[in-house]
Amino acid sequence: MDNVTATARKSRYDAGVMKYKEMGYFDLDYQPKETDILALFRITPQDGVDPEEAAAAVAGESSTATWTVVWTDRLTACEKYRAKCYRVDPVPGQEGQYFAAIAYDLDLFEPGSIVNLSASIIGNVFGFKPLKALRLEDMRLPVAYVKTFDGPATGIVVERERLDKFGRPLLGATVKPKLGLSGRNYGRVVYEALKGGLDFTKDDENINSQPFMHWRDRFLYCMEAVNRAQAMTGEVKGSYLNVSAATMEDMYERAEFAKELGSAIVMIDLVIGYTAIQSMAKWARRNDMILHLHRAGHSTYTRQKSHGVSFRVIAKWMRLAGVDHIHAGTVVGKLEGDPFTTRGYYDVCREMYNPMRLEHGIFFDQDWAGLRRMMPVASGGIHAGQMHQLLDLLGEDCVLQFGGGTIGHPMGIAAGATANRVALEAMVLARNEGRDILAEGPAILHAAARRCTPLAQALEVWKDVTFNYSSTDTPDFVPTLTPA
Amino acid sequence: MHITQGTFSFLPALSDEQITAQAKYCLEKGWSLNIEFTDDPHPRNTYWEMWGTPMFDLKDPAGLMYELAECRKVHAGRAYIRVSAFDATPGWESLRLSFITDRPAEEPGFMLERQERGGRMIAYTTRAYAADRPAGARY
Amino acid sequence: MDANPDTKIDLDAAYLRSGVAEILDELDRELVGLRPVKLRIREIAARLLIDRLRREFGAGGQAPTLHMSFTGNPGTGKTTVALRMADILHRLGYIRTNQLVSVTRDDLVGQYIGHTAPKTKEILKKAMGGVLFIDEAYYLYRPENERDYGQESIEILLQVMEQRRDDLVVILAGYADRMDRFFTANPGFRSRVAHHIDFPDYGDEELFAIAEKMLASQHDRFDDGAAAAFRDYIAARRRQPHFANARSIRNALDRARLRQAVRLFEGRGRPMPVSDLITLVADDILRSRVFDHARAEEQP
Repeated sequence: MDNVTATARKSRYDAGVMKYKEMGYFDLDYQPKETDILALFRITPQDGVDPEEAAAAVAGESSTATWTVVWTDRLTACEKYRAKCYRVDPVPGQEGQYFAAIAYDLDLFEPGSIVNLSASIIGNVFGFKPLKALRLEDMRLPVAYVKTFDGPATGIVVERERLDKFGRPLLGATVKPKLGLSGRNYGRVVYEALKGGLDFTKDDENINSQPFMHWRDRFLYCMEAVNRAQAMTGEVKGSYLNVSAATMEDMYERAEFAKELGSAIVMIDLVIGYTAIQSMAKWARRNDMILHLHRAGHSTYTRQKSHGVSFRVIAKWMRLAGVDHIHAGTVVGKLEGDPFTTRGYYDVCREMYNPMRLEHGIFFDQDWAGLRRMMPVASGGIHAGQMHQLLDLLGEDCVLQFGGGTIGHPMGIAAGATANRVALEAMVLARNEGRDILAEGPAILHAAARRCTPLAQALEVWKDVTFNYSSTDTPDFVPTLTPA
Repeated sequence: MHITQGTFSFLPALSDEQITAQAKYCLEKGWSLNIEFTDDPHPRNTYWEMWGTPMFDLKDPAGLMYELAECRKVHAGRAYIRVSAFDATPGWESLRLSFITDRPAEEPGFMLERQERGGRMIAYTTRAYAADRPAGARY
Repeated sequence: MDANPDTKIDLDAAYLRSGVAEILDELDRELVGLRPVKLRIREIAARLLIDRLRREFGAGGQAPTLHMSFTGNPGTGKTTVALRMADILHRLGYIRTNQLVSVTRDDLVGQYIGHTAPKTKEILKKAMGGVLFIDEAYYLYRPENERDYGQESIEILLQVMEQRRDDLVVILAGYADRMDRFFTANPGFRSRVAHHIDFPDYGDEELFAIAEKMLASQHDRFDDGAAAAFRDYIAARRRQPHFANARSIRNALDRARLRQAVRLFEGRGRPMPVSDLITLVADDILRSRVFDHARAEEQP
């Protein structure tokens, strides 16, 4: 046995090219350790490429390998540092696609760094020629690694305690039109929406500091509106002030100003990058600020099933990074979102432990090791008439953002806000009373509308609006009955 | 003025039957119920006065309704009363529902005071008109 | 709904539907003796069923008073029957949760000023929706001490028994004579208690049957000698102080099992049939001190 190993070793390090499978990146007998980081890839090999070799190549290229044998491997504990593909399965119903599960030793990664994690796992390998396409579907982050991150500073529980709002989804709206309003007009929308009954208003992802409205102006007017609305209602209100900017210095300056003005929450965009996100999360933690993340740009790589990174992976990374709010889809609104896949995202945000659930796209058990729950945000093309579906699909621990569904109300912004709030409270009340809100939803809304004209108007105006397109990012597994 | 703190403030005042139904929901979830009251409605007044200690181990909403009736005998019309539900499971350990059941006969609302500072900045203070009078004599 | 006197009512169907029959049958099967008690329970169940039907058909008044008093010596089955009573009330819809909270004075009455009201109320709130069973209720009332906190508890109890009849059924339990004095001194309780049930002492044969049931539930048995010895034991034990009916039987069997274990252990070293492990013999019974006392009484 010793002899065999010795011979294998000798030839393993002869100069030249050899198959990844034979270089130690493929081992179906490997038992992942509890401390390993696990990744599940969907691989589509080029025609004629052996799927196992392709999977081994992904393991190799995302860890220590290069295209040829290097003797310098022998200056390292190379066995330990090689990622190991330990499983390859054909994707059900998708010819030419395979799921490859790969295990990475924890010491391959810098503690507490999403940038390092992502540079390893998705750094080079996605352009690898022998693959037509590659998608990172899911990851299992071991407790040992999770514990190197702070996670959300407030998350669902502390945010609710700070806002003194319990037992129902929070209500928000993105100020519309997205672009062109002056600071003074922008603040008007914020004031009306908050006074009418929303908890939050929100800057859109591309509201930064443009010629029509500079950021200081926006912050000052928004905070006037927030404070006025708070005094008018006796209720804590907020407006996500987008501090995304060209440099970290700019972002810190804007965030500091928001804090000085007494804002409870600031906002960043996913496109600012993982380092900037982690920096802002640490800033928010130091400054008692809720941090809202708009997932701007994610659909460029999350939407197509064959290539890119699943949003559930992004959601996991963002929970580690420590954002408090994250946009996670609406199912019923205008943006991509299969109900089961979206359910998986929400579980990643909100549960303390995610069991493997293939039908929701969750491929691994994930223990969050006490990291706080993130508040998912549902935004884009939703309105009061869908309240029963939203509450049923998304539950109560989320933010429902009705932008057009508030500001587009025929009787004005405050009326739109009131319609949404009454619809929401009536639905939560009914659900808690044990009523079947999916079946009785429309009746519950119409009953509430009899005492609330703005709701009656909203139901009438948007009664036929639905976005029934089929989703692209759907689960590959459907629940089936198995004989006991 | 009608303050909109709590889960159901945009709906008509809840009847006893409706409060009972919400309490039943909370008990079925394993949460414990608590009654609080205050005559300081400031949105950041976190610590309302507790009407006794939280009711752990209730099996039926009748226990809550009994205490609510007792609390109303003393405070109805002169204070806000709210019912909250506490969840002690790990990762929550916080309120899961909190709604106002009773309000003072009149709610005078809040004054927003502005203190001008440099650079167009304003320091805001929200002050309840009712808080001009001493606690206990506000409503 | 107005009652139409010609509407036909299927009482049998209503009885079956309620599921009360099963509980009454169980009561008959599982509890030895207690004939008058079982009779009273049947009466009460019938009365409540009819009452519910009357109200279903619009011919009833307000909900009946359901508070009860169970009197009798210790070990006569009061707690067991109270549990079954909770079952019956639950099946008939008179209580919402099938629970019985069993308390004594110490659970209700506080140690210092201001302690009693919250303590009593906490118990009442926990029991609401079901049945509150107060064992030896008369200890709440201590006229010899005029500053006793028990009085405060009594007042809260009376108020809740009267005003929250839909939320709570109270069963007061204890010795018959003391309970009588308690009711005389606290007429408020007497007027709020609708059903009085008296639990008689068990006869010797009944106690023997109870012993056999207890043994069977543990897969144990008497051999012939032990059976005869245990009959003697019952007769002797009854004449001695602190006799507590079924409870005394349970204690006697526990001690007999202990002596059996010692006997088997001391005889170790030779092969033993499995049946020895589950059989009590005469000696296990006869070595009880009860017989010493009995012999001592006979000698002078």
